[in-house]
Amino acid sequence: MTLTSLSFFAFVFATLVLYYIIPKKFRWIVLLAASAAFYGIVCLKYMPFIVFTAISTWLGALWLDKVANQRKAELKEHKADWDSDTKKAYKHKTLVNKRLILALVLVLNFGILAVIKYFDYISEWLSGFLPVPAISLGILLPLGISFYTFQSMGYIVDVYWGKTAPEKNFAKFALFVSFFPQIIQGPIAIYDDLAKQLYEGHDLQYENIKNGFILILWGLFKKMVIADRLIVILNAILDNRPGLYNFFGAIAILVYAAQLYMDFSGGIDISRGVAQMLGINMAYNFKRPFFARTVADFWRRWHISLCHWLRTYLFYPIAVSKAFLRFGKWIGSHAKKKDLPADSVWGGFTFIEHAGRVVPGCIATLLTFLIVGMWHGANWKYAGYGLWNGIIILVSMLLDPVFKYVINKTKIRTQTFSWRLWQIFRTFVITMVGFAFDIGNDMADSARMVLDCLNPLGRAASVPAELNIGLKISDYAVIVVGLMIVFAVSLYQERSQKSFRDTLGKQSIWFQWVIMLGLLLGVVILGMYGPGVAANEFVYMNF
Amino acid sequence: MEEFIEKLKLIKKGVDFENETELFDGGFLDSFDVIQIITMLDEDYEITVPPSEIVPTNFNSAKAMFAMMQRLEDE
Repeated sequence: MTLTSLSFFAFVFATLVLYYIIPKKFRWIVLLAASAAFYGIVCLKYMPFIVFTAISTWLGALWLDKVANQRKAELKEHKADWDSDTKKAYKHKTLVNKRLILALVLVLNFGILAVIKYFDYISEWLSGFLPVPAISLGILLPLGISFYTFQSMGYIVDVYWGKTAPEKNFAKFALFVSFFPQIIQGPIAIYDDLAKQLYEGHDLQYENIKNGFILILWGLFKKMVIADRLIVILNAILDNRPGLYNFFGAIAILVYAAQLYMDFSGGIDISRGVAQMLGINMAYNFKRPFFARTVADFWRRWHISLCHWLRTYLFYPIAVSKAFLRFGKWIGSHAKKKDLPADSVWGGFTFIEHAGRVVPGCIATLLTFLIVGMWHGANWKYAGYGLWNGIIILVSMLLDPVFKYVINKTKIRTQTFSWRLWQIFRTFVITMVGFAFDIGNDMADSARMVLDCLNPLGRAASVPAELNIGLKISDYAVIVVGLMIVFAVSLYQERSQKSFRDTLGKQSIWFQWVIMLGLLLGVVILGMYGPGVAANEFVYMNF
Repeated sequence: MEEFIEKLKLIKKGVDFENETELFDGGFLDSFDVIQIITMLDEDYEITVPPSEIVPTNFNSAKAMFAMMQRLEDE
């Protein structure tokens, strides 16, 4: 039952009917039952994994809360009779206890994820140069394991930090972990943003049903009309690449970028649309990423929920840790103090002073992007993908004052359309290089694909390949028109910073229905069906 | 407060720290700027900002940052 199947929509319809006919107080139980049923239908065999994560995280959070409450009570009780050293020692002891509980839950859950995701690959890799046989665990990835693990671990850290009160009711917490629209490919939710919405019953509202329906149609359009055609082209090129001209590598990267965006964002639109029909607002996961003007900006627009998670629970804790702050201070202490003007090369500082200010953040960035890369799959090429993005951001942060100095000295007009266009183009090219790591066979192959773009008419093999893509001219026309429609909507959203659905909602009811029926017909008539394409799963489904 | 704003201006030039109320949400400050502010609080005021405090509401205005600073100082 994929997000584009009729059975899924029958399932959603049944859930909606049940949700809205039973009393508001019990509506969350319908969501839990639907989520459990969905997981059971799609991935019953591996259900114990998600149950384990839910139970261990729930218990861990309650344990943390118990320690925190005990600490508060003890400190209150001994406010008068404990001196400051005793209080300090007690606080330290309880902090260590809390850290141990947190570490236990994190190690257990990330451990399971790491073993299932990476064990087979690492075992095979090691067997290549060590006298040990490659061992396979024979476990496929349980549905949504990366997403529900990250979501649950975010919750336990929030409870540890005291930002979130732990959920006492296990059934309610299990719903937060397993909410069915998001279990396939996210977005990864923050507990405080989602949980309350799940637990309170929502009224049936025409606006929610209509806007959710439009979002689902939009997602289906991106996935079934565009992405499922692009994947045919992508596979044909990748299968025949050694015999094709090198420029096909560049075409493959561009097709992949469009396919991935249409596939992933389309799937997220469907999930968010289903949630909206239930009155639940899920986090945004994309914000027109190809309009980004820097690589850092791209990562604020692409897979937003993962990046937000990593920034909150990994990047900041590393960057503001005592060790990193001390390291920055240590670098800065080597600088000779000079009174430099603000428009000097390093922005009013010496190079060493500037390095002391940004290097801790740069190292944290590199580590974060290494994790981003490794999250994408068990292959060293994904580490390359992460490092490529991390190094670009690191260099741009390190040299930021120099770029500003050069721009200032050369009097480049940065408020112009042409400059913005250049920035978007530059970011696009850098991002495309990163995507080559996704579609190359390994790190070396990915690097070769990028370098081959410098010699577009060369070939890897002497025998030319016959490229039989298997699409009709009309399919190419559908792709081009489809991408133009997505581009036009994105351009409108980018320029107006408004939701297209809100704008549509202000039009006459007839016009709204014409657009909706047009989208519905577009999906029904132009969607890719049949045995060859029905098996197209979402790219991010196996994460 | 004025001294604190002057220090913020040394970290990020050209930002209206006196009046802006969406410093983080509005994109005037990025995560690197936030780290530099936290470094400054550690160096100049001996205040440790834990990662749990790094939320937009604490960094959207100089006033919010100052309030966070005072709260952490009291703790």
